[in-house]
Amino acid sequence: MKQTPQEKKIQENMQPGVITLNGFLGNDNRHYQDIIDEDRRTLERLSITPGEIADRLQYFADLAWDSYDAPIIIDEFYQVEYKSYRGKIPCPFPHAGRYPKGTITLKNLNCGKEICWTPLNIHMIREHCFFEGKGSPHRIEPSEVMKILFK
Amino acid sequence: MFISILITIGIVAGIGGFLALLLIIAESTLANYGECTIMINEKKELKVKGGSSLLNILNNNKIFLSSACGGRGSCGFCKCKVIEGGGPLLPTETPFLEEDEKKNNVRLACQVKVKQDIKIKIPADIFAVQEFTGKVIKIQDLTYDIKEITIELTKPKEIEFQAGQFVQFVAPRYEKSRQPVTRAYSISSSPDNKDYIKLIIKKVPDGLCTTYIHEYLKEGDTVIFTGPFGDFIIKDTQNDMVFIAGGSGKAPIISMLEYLNTHGSKRRLVYFFGARTKKDLYLTELFEKLEKELKDFTYVPTLSQPEENSDWKGKTGYIMAYLKEYIKDGAETEAYLCGSPGMIDAVQKKLVAIKISEDNIFYDSFN
Repeated sequence: MKQTPQEKKIQENMQPGVITLNGFLGNDNRHYQDIIDEDRRTLERLSITPGEIADRLQYFADLAWDSYDAPIIIDEFYQVEYKSYRGKIPCPFPHAGRYPKGTITLKNLNCGKEICWTPLNIHMIREHCFFEGKGSPHRIEPSEVMKILFK
Repeated sequence: MFISILITIGIVAGIGGFLALLLIIAESTLANYGECTIMINEKKELKVKGGSSLLNILNNNKIFLSSACGGRGSCGFCKCKVIEGGGPLLPTETPFLEEDEKKNNVRLACQVKVKQDIKIKIPADIFAVQEFTGKVIKIQDLTYDIKEITIELTKPKEIEFQAGQFVQFVAPRYEKSRQPVTRAYSISSSPDNKDYIKLIIKKVPDGLCTTYIHEYLKEGDTVIFTGPFGDFIIKDTQNDMVFIAGGSGKAPIISMLEYLNTHGSKRRLVYFFGARTKKDLYLTELFEKLEKELKDFTYVPTLSQPEENSDWKGKTGYIMAYLKEYIKDGAETEAYLCGSPGMIDAVQKKLVAIKISEDNIFYDSFN
């Protein structure tokens, strides 16, 4: 597959040990653009936009932020915990701006399922429709997100 | 027909490649920019041989701008104002610059090649920053996820810093990292000890530098860091001081308290250390000792989630609930915070609510 220098740089930034220890692709051998394309098709099937998912993730992150790094219950059946760390990291897609280090873990107490994301994930979903590769620690499966965050 | 097309493509590609190679060779061997002058802050003048990046030339002249990627243009940290002679802004820089920075001639020093006389502006305190080489003489587990590293300085052999300042530690390329990475850590030892520093480092999930320190760094290893940086330092007043720090945020507070102890401080001091469980408490004996030695110091460890059946007799819940109890007069109190951004945000709001002026609340954003 022929890549522009920009695409090569992005693919390189997503490898383990470049921006983060584990990288952004997990054990997914596909090119990042193929991952985006497939997730975009999934979102179309589910009739939801990346912006709507990012808004929902941001909603929980904002409420959990105010709980001083402790778990809280939001809207009755979402248990959410925001762990923040000092420092910021850049996005693998090169542009201005760095994103706070931290993890937000949400457990849906109805279905028992849990997902974990970072402030950078919210940005990557909103701006780049990138949910990370399969097997990545912060991969957010679009079809799962619908079940966990919206029900 | 097909073969002749392939041959033509091959010839064109070959010529292109050859010309590119020629340009690279010419650039590295023939290009001579001669002696150039770097005028810094309209005060300091450097006469240098042109041809290298501004970042490299400054480093070679012992002026250390922050950089986490070793000059590869991937971290965006080495920003400085180039007033004259920097050439056009490059596409490799624009992703890291905000619009107002572009308008104000901010550039990435690693991407600016010095080919002519150049005028730049950098923060004045950068001149005090040095590169240090040291030997790790002790690594101690303070908790399950926090280590204390003691580094004896080998070159230069002494460091001058103020309690509360931080250094930028360089983790070399290792098994899990494709390039060296640099991260900021507060010094936990007192500035009165000039021949070594101590750092307290918590393991961050997915962290490149903390994984190196926790899993790969060994006693006897040689390490490199630059510093000192930061203006999170003790203000020269006689106001009461309240310290609030959790986790590895304890590091600069230890440095400050040890300094205040050695220098006979008579200020009223309170330190709130917020932790989840007893497993997260550390160096408690040191604070008990400081309580005896300092004229007026109280250590208040507080557990937010003590284990069931725990024998913990101290305070529980969040430290915000206890601030008012210990702060006599908000107008005469300074607050020094260090910890996670979530903690700093929450505590700052509470301190303002109990009438501590925002001007008297200090914390390090590590920028």
